[in-house]
Formats: sequence, structure tokens, C-alpha cells
Amino acid sequence: MLMSLFGSLLAQTSEDIENLQSQITLDSQILGEQFYFWTVVVMWLIHVGFMAYEGGAVRRKNVMSTAMKNILTIAVVTPTFYYFGWYIYGCFEEGWPKSGHASPDALEGFCGLTAPWSVGLGPSLQDHISLIFWLAFLLFSWTTGSIMSGAVVERIRLSAYLILTAILGSAVWIMDAAWGWSSGGWLVTRFGFHDAIASGVVHGVAGGFAFGVLLNLGPRIGKYDLQGRARSFRGHNTHLTLMGLMLIFTGFYGFYAACLVIQSTAFPGWLNIYLSPSTLGTIAMVITIGFAGGFTGGWFASKGDPFWTLSGGLAGVISVSAGADVYHPSLAYLLAISGALVAYWSGTFIEKRLRIDDAVGAVAVHGVAGFYGVFLVGIFAGGFPTGINNVESSMGGQLMGILAFLPLAFLPGYAVSWLLKKANLLRVPAEVELEGLDMAEFGMDFYPEFERVPEIIIEPDGREVDGAPVLLDSYWQTNGKGKVPAGTSSES
Amino acid sequence: MFDAFAWDEWSETITQFWTFSGQDGTSAGTVILTILGFAVMLISFFGFVILEEGKLARQAEKLRSTGALDRPPAA
Repeated sequence: MLMSLFGSLLAQTSEDIENLQSQITLDSQILGEQFYFWTVVVMWLIHVGFMAYEGGAVRRKNVMSTAMKNILTIAVVTPTFYYFGWYIYGCFEEGWPKSGHASPDALEGFCGLTAPWSVGLGPSLQDHISLIFWLAFLLFSWTTGSIMSGAVVERIRLSAYLILTAILGSAVWIMDAAWGWSSGGWLVTRFGFHDAIASGVVHGVAGGFAFGVLLNLGPRIGKYDLQGRARSFRGHNTHLTLMGLMLIFTGFYGFYAACLVIQSTAFPGWLNIYLSPSTLGTIAMVITIGFAGGFTGGWFASKGDPFWTLSGGLAGVISVSAGADVYHPSLAYLLAISGALVAYWSGTFIEKRLRIDDAVGAVAVHGVAGFYGVFLVGIFAGGFPTGINNVESSMGGQLMGILAFLPLAFLPGYAVSWLLKKANLLRVPAEVELEGLDMAEFGMDFYPEFERVPEIIIEPDGREVDGAPVLLDSYWQTNGKGKVPAGTSSES
Repeated sequence: MFDAFAWDEWSETITQFWTFSGQDGTSAGTVILTILGFAVMLISFFGFVILEEGKLARQAEKLRSTGALDRPPAA
């Protein structure tokens, strides 16, 4: 009798424990689901910010066409990332998909959950993680498109941009993420490549892609004089630009958080994307002091220029992102200062020496600072065990990543924009560029209550002059049969 | 209270709905939807190009025809 009662109690307790375990697992999954959901909400601010940032940086006549690029980025990158981008991330970790996707290092079964018709990408009561994780990655994809967006404003066709951004956001960057930003990526498992918060994977690659596009796109009419010296165009609303940058910075907290992995019943704590241990506090500290260092570096490098002070903050953070899960705050502060300096100097070099018209310095701030950040890990975090194989980070591994990513970023950007250029689908007609894209695209000026004022251009010697004669002169040169001035495109 | 909720019955009804991804594999309806969505996505790119080409060509022609951007004759 007593034994029977004891046995019954034991069975009841065992069942209670199983129920409890099951409930804790469900709660843990739902907490993870909620965590990524809120990172996505915060990351939307990055795109609000990019729209404001670029909209303010362009001339009044191009404000809506610029904003529309950022909005339609969402319209094209979302479906393309759904239909093939996520599959690339899940199944290309070895470089190319293997038969049966049988990499011993990859998350088991992950590839099969990434096809658009799969269980992982449909509504499922059994899976709280796949869709929300996809969504977080989608926001990274939009970001890559928005990075390129700023570089090409005021002369690229909207449709050309949308094609390019779909390729960048749903094929190029996600391929490099599969290689170097996943627990089973070949760069990680074989070389210990470490880019925890995506210095190179997102920013560097987007900057490299944009650089390839800019070579074919050419500068805006009037950007360079006959001697090849750079003029400056005045953005129509610097306040909007600076507010946009601050919104991007706010969104970065969501971006950083979404780069971590959390599920308490499966893992012992916070993990980075390589499934190595980390903490949310660590990366939040690095991002904050990274901004501080970046602003400082940008301020002094540019001698107090507002645009470059804030861009310096961005470059600073990007420079320390690759090692944000490892760096001591003091180290991050110093490296972020150096990243802002590198971005400013390289931006000046690209504009004035290479004569490439990158309207917002995206190649320098994202591309150069991004790869600089990857490089820094080789120096300051060498020996840190990365990923499930615990392969030590090293300068060799970081250089291997840079060598893999540079052509992966640059070549598609260059090749596709070259094809579009040959088809005369890359750049707007010169007449439309002079008048402003908004009139052609939307048939209206978007500040109807404000009187139009003459467009001011800053000559290379610093003089402010009426822009109309300068632009017309450049237009005639471009459209004529004679020599094309230095730095201007022969297209259109 | 939790045990009193009709979870099993509710769950089975939902997961058997044809667009839900259950454990039985992909339904034909899901495959058809995927193909249709992919096709619409591709077509939208052509649409973006064609629609813009028309707008740009019309505006450029209009600007050329006004002569406002012509080079003035040499004095």
C-alpha cells in the first residue's frame, strides 16, 4: 500500500517535471522570439535614418526621388531575400551547396528550413525562431542596400538602383554572411575568421559593392571642373541629415543586439553569431564608447565639420564592430578614434584624388572602415577562440576574409552596373539630372510653399558661386562630341 | 486552468489549414504560391524599369524641345 502510494507520487512528480521542462522551453523560445522582434522594431530606425540622412544631403530638386529609393529598398529586398537570399545563407556555408548540405560544422537541418516553401518560412506553431530570425537578417539586408543608396544619389535611375540593391541585399552580402558570419561558414570553421558585429560582412561589403557601381555611374554633372578638381554641392537640409544620422545610431543598438543569439534552454547564455559566448552588455558598451571615439576622431580630422563629425561616429563604431564581443572599452575608444580618422582621410582621397563622386562618403565610412575593423581584429583579438571549432582568430584568418570579401563585393557591383550602363539604364538623362529627378519622376517640387532660390556650388578654391552656369557648362561639355571633362561621365 | 484549455483540438485544426507548414512536408498549394510570388517579384523589376524609362524619356525630350538647355551661339 505504502509502496504503491510512493510509486504513484513519483510518477506524478516525474510528469510534473516534464511538464515544467516543456513549459520552460516554450517560454525560452518565446522570449527569444520577442527579443528578435524588438531588435527588428529598433532596426527600422536605421532605415528611417538613412532616408532622412540622404534626403537632407541632396539638393532640393532630388529630395523625393532620394527618399523613394530608401522606401522601395524595402519593396524589392524583402521578397528577393525571402525567395532566395535566406536560402543562400542557410545552404552556402561551404562556399557552394554540398550534396545533401551535409557540412558537419553547420547547424543540423538549418539549410532545409531556409527555402521559401519550407516549414521554416511558413506559419508554424512548432517554430518560434525561424521567421523572426529571418526578419532580423532581412533588416541587415535592407541596411546593405541603404549603404549603397547614399553613394549614388542625384543621378542614378531608381530602377537601376532597385536592381542593384536586390543583388547586394539578397545575394552578395548574404553569401559573405554564409561564409564568414555563421557558425558553419568555411572562413570561420577553417580560418577562425572573426567579424562578430559585421564590420566587413555588412559595411565593408556594401561599401565595396558601391565602389564598383560608382566607377560605372560616374560623378554628378558639375562635380569636377576641367582640371579634375572637386566642387561641393550643398545638401538642402543639413539638420535633416544630422537627425537621420542620429536615428541610424539609435537603430544600431538593435542591429548590435540582433547579432547575438539567445535561447536559455539550448545555450548557456548569450552567444555571438559564431555561437561563442558573449554578453549584451559587452557589445552595448563597445558601441557606445565607439560612438564617442568616432565623434571625437571625426571632429578633429575634419576640423569641426558637422557632417564628418557624425560620419566619424559611424565609422568609429564600424571599426570596432568586428571585435565588439572581445574588446575592452578603452581599446574600443582608441580604435574608434582611429577608424574615424581613416574614414575621413580615405573619403578625401576617394573624392579628390580618385575623382569618384561618392555623395555621402559611404565607401569610406562603410567600406574602408569596415575592412579596417576586420583587420584590427587580427592585431588586437588574435588568439581568441572563434566558433564551435574554437579556431583561434589570427591576422591570416582576417586577411583571408578580406581577400574573399573584396572581390565578392566589388565584382558583382561593377559587372551589373556595367551591363546596366551598356543598356543605357543606369543613369538618368543629363537634362533630367540638371532639372532635378523629382520633376521627371513625380512631376512636382516637394517644397511648394518655399520660393526657389539659386543653387549654390562651392568651387574647389572655396568660393560660393551661382550653380546654374557651372552646371550648364558641364552639361554642354558632357553632351558634346568633344573631350569629356575629367571626372564626368560620357553616358547619356 | 491551463490543463482545461482545449489545446489539442485547437492546435490540430490550425495546423491542418492548408497554408500552414506542418510536419507532413510542403503542400502543393504552398509550392504554387511560392512560384506565383517569385514570378510577380521578377515582373515587378521589369515594371520598375519600363515605367521609369517612359517618365525619364518624356521629361528629357520636353526639356530638349524648350531649348532652355541649349548652348548659346558663339558671339
